[in-house]
Amino acid sequence: MYGRRASQLLKEIDSSEADQLAPFNSDVFDQVIRECNEHNSQFQSLIRKMVDQNLDIETTRNEDHYGAAIHHLSLLRNKRCLMAYMCNRAEVIQSFRWKVGPVLPHDIQEKLHFSEKEYFKNHSAAIKSYMTEMDIDLTVDMVPPKDPYIQVRVLEDIGEVSLDDHSISLTKNSLHFLRRTDAEQFISQGLMEEFLE
Amino acid sequence: MSSWNDDEDLASASAAEAATTDVELLKRAWRNEKAAPEILRFDSPLVSRVREQIQLLEETLDDFSDSGVDDLVVSLYQMDLDRTLFLLRSYLRLRLQKIEKYAMHIARSDDLLSRLSQQERRFTKSPGSDGSAFLVVGLVPSCSEIMEKHLEQSVLSKLPYGYDSVTRQSLSSTEDDMVPEPQLDTFVFCKTKSDVGAFQLDDIGEEVVDLVADDLYVLRYKSIKGLIESGRIDLI
Repeated sequence: MYGRRASQLLKEIDSSEADQLAPFNSDVFDQVIRECNEHNSQFQSLIRKMVDQNLDIETTRNEDHYGAAIHHLSLLRNKRCLMAYMCNRAEVIQSFRWKVGPVLPHDIQEKLHFSEKEYFKNHSAAIKSYMTEMDIDLTVDMVPPKDPYIQVRVLEDIGEVSLDDHSISLTKNSLHFLRRTDAEQFISQGLMEEFLE
Repeated sequence: MSSWNDDEDLASASAAEAATTDVELLKRAWRNEKAAPEILRFDSPLVSRVREQIQLLEETLDDFSDSGVDDLVVSLYQMDLDRTLFLLRSYLRLRLQKIEKYAMHIARSDDLLSRLSQQERRFTKSPGSDGSAFLVVGLVPSCSEIMEKHLEQSVLSKLPYGYDSVTRQSLSSTEDDMVPEPQLDTFVFCKTKSDVGAFQLDDIGEEVVDLVADDLYVLRYKSIKGLIESGRIDLI
């Protein structure tokens, strides 16, 4: 049935959890693209057939006309599905910039189409340039602050870090009581976690 | 009756007073932005005032730590500062995320573009770009261009001629029917700040609702858009 493959792509988006990205389904994606081109050549040949029979394409309503219309509409539907697939994925990719940071870990990279990787890079650059212009870092403070200080556990050796007026040594597995704003950058890089008793 | 009226006057007066601090105003803008389906007008003077106050508070805190003020007082001030900073960041972030989602839609409308701050406009659409000036050296491409380029190289370039437009489904489309737009007739929760009176919800005047002060309503966003802009109703 026409359009079934394309709807598979959207079902995939629909069934995956919000903010989660499934690997780019290049198999089905390429099949849908092939289907589109097949629809187009069928459409063209039906139109050509009508022209060869000296029929007016605008007004003739024979079986070839309706056949062509179905190919045209199927192609449109496929296009909408492909675009929706890419747009929905792009939205999740945008959210990675806020949740994961400017560099994506390998396991996410593997799930992306090459154009999506480029998209993420360009999009990150656009956000960075906005933040520079505004002179404000928007990647911290992702949750409303409750307490200005939090208890954190260091997950990986970070070494000597100077915070404000003093410097502390952040060694693996040590516990610290830090200003939330200071700790947040390390937490987002996965070097620390909030320590909850 | 008169005392009841007095009470109400007092209450609304104190509410009005509470709403006059810039942080309160920002909180209101933030809440409205959060609940509205489309991008709202950016209040540049308000944001720059809040930023000035943040800077002032930061300087005060520095002075405190120099002059050895009680730690508890310092942490209270710090708390206040953190909350304001969060509010500001969250507000700006919220707007960027909305712009990201509807970049192409916003980029083609002068009305929507005029609601953005100067920096947001640059983020949405590069100056003087009509697709051609895509990779000007040294210029960071804008959100709408990045999205267009991404769709172009992943999908559109592989589609047959006539179906490869980013804004239209095919050559036979007479208008842009391929650009995602926000749903303006979605329902929103809102609270009236003062009596609005009989308010018409649709164009033909069949649905009229009496909006009383300090009451909660669930209405279509489209119909109360004007009231939000004029600040007579708040989204929650």
